[in-house]
Amino acid sequence: MNTVIVERPGTGNLVSRFFYGFKSLLIGMRLTFKYLSHPSTVVTQQYPENRKSLKLADRVRAQLKFEIDGEGYHKCTACHICEQQCPNASIHVIERKPSATGKPELDTFIWRLDSCTFCNLCVMVCPYQVLKMDATFESSVYDQKLLAYNLSPYAGPTSGVLMKIEDPEARKKMIEPRGQYAGPTALSGYPLAGISKKQFPETTHQGGHL
Amino acid sequence: MSVSSFSRNIVSHLDSSPGTSAALFVSGLVGTLAFMSLMALILIYVERKVAAHFQCRLGPMRVGWHGILQSVADALKLILKEDIVPFSADKLMHATAPVFAVVAMLLTLIAIPLSSSLTLADSNIGVLYISAVSGLGVLGILLGGWSSNNKWSLIGAMRAGAQIISYELSATLSVLVIIMLSGSLKLSTIIQSQANGWWIWRAPGVGLIAFITFIISSTAEINRTPFDLAEGESELTAGFHTEYSGMRFAFFFLAEYLNLFVVSALGATLFLGGWMPLHIGDQQGLFSGFNQVMDLIPEFVWFMLKTASLIFLSMWFRWTFPRLRVDQLMKLEWKILMPIGFLNLVLAALMTFFGFFFFATGRGF
Repeated sequence: MNTVIVERPGTGNLVSRFFYGFKSLLIGMRLTFKYLSHPSTVVTQQYPENRKSLKLADRVRAQLKFEIDGEGYHKCTACHICEQQCPNASIHVIERKPSATGKPELDTFIWRLDSCTFCNLCVMVCPYQVLKMDATFESSVYDQKLLAYNLSPYAGPTSGVLMKIEDPEARKKMIEPRGQYAGPTALSGYPLAGISKKQFPETTHQGGHL
Repeated sequence: MSVSSFSRNIVSHLDSSPGTSAALFVSGLVGTLAFMSLMALILIYVERKVAAHFQCRLGPMRVGWHGILQSVADALKLILKEDIVPFSADKLMHATAPVFAVVAMLLTLIAIPLSSSLTLADSNIGVLYISAVSGLGVLGILLGGWSSNNKWSLIGAMRAGAQIISYELSATLSVLVIIMLSGSLKLSTIIQSQANGWWIWRAPGVGLIAFITFIISSTAEINRTPFDLAEGESELTAGFHTEYSGMRFAFFFLAEYLNLFVVSALGATLFLGGWMPLHIGDQQGLFSGFNQVMDLIPEFVWFMLKTASLIFLSMWFRWTFPRLRVDQLMKLEWKILMPIGFLNLVLAALMTFFGFFFFATGRGF
């Protein structure tokens, strides 16, 4: 293997180093002057004034969400892979077996924002790309109980199963709507690890932004 | 030389009757203090805004329109803040240090001619006086670092001391070039000598080299980046003023920013003609029409524009260049700047002797 020796710029005798240094300083000054003279290069956002026009990067992970299609259906098969991969048990997948089909399907998908570390593992392992990380970052609430909730809008089979049925009325019979705090959430009276059972008087189901 | 005796000297130059002298003294003092406070507030705001935009940020935006009242709010905060003195500090020295810093700055400020009529003290040894009293500032820094009884403060103060004393040489060497060319130590005479053109270009090459040397060494003297080793945040938290808070910290801060003004004003006075408008040749020469147009702009505006552009240059340096290491700092001064300064001085001497510069009238100035 040939080794390519690249001479470091600015080495050599004192005079050439002197002028190289001077030139590099001028290059730096030209760059910073470009930033000064072009206010469009400013990256600062005036939050919360620009709340409506806030630009966030795609990589921001602030909330776990379900991918819901136009019909309002998801692709979750309740396979539990995300639950197994979750490093601190922030996900609880509750499945049900309807007597009609006998096949397991998703009932509720409980996600605990309060313990989630936003490591993105659940999103990466999901075989059907059901989960996504969302940039909705204003998640603070006054009661921890509000931070364990259900992501799935309904209990029932995946969109693939549902869309095989032509009649929308028949589809509706196969699914049952599920609220945000449905299933084994703290607000529904379930004991969850790390959440105090004490009920604050001001806490209501409507509390919080979610 | 104390402030009062010096001020009495100034006033005795202006008028001999005691009533008028007292009135002049008081108005001069009040005027200087008002100018000083206003200038510091403006400079700090401008620095923060300019710095922000150099770094793709917005800077202060909340207090007033585009944060214009930010430095007023900061000043109020500093005034109302608790003045914390370390338990094992030398209390007296700790209290005196900021005063030294501010007084040294103030003493240099009064010698700067703002326009042909607006000069507080036009001493016949103006340049010598400025380089002498500006050296007092280092005493404030050393005292502050020593009395804080904190190793970081002490290291910062020692670095500042070494740095200021070293770079004083180069600064003085570059100033000497101008003294030689203009043949005077009096600042007003130096400005008058630039009526046909500024020294930066009238003395070909020599003036420019002296100017660059002056800019570098004066940046080092006022401890600004890239020479801010004395208060390098990443190494020494805040250097000599780590243990200062409230008003005493504000004093150091004030001195720092007004030193920037004083140094830029001195640079403008020596190399860019001070309040003298941009002239090319004398009034009978080829460019007399141009000179007359330039005369339409008031002297004070000329002075302020020149000073502001030098201040901007210093800010530009600060937010572009990385900080030097201690050994690099010393190497730059003793191995590069000082030899260049001496060489330049010899060239300037020859140039002055043979009258080899633009618009030379006979020998010397």
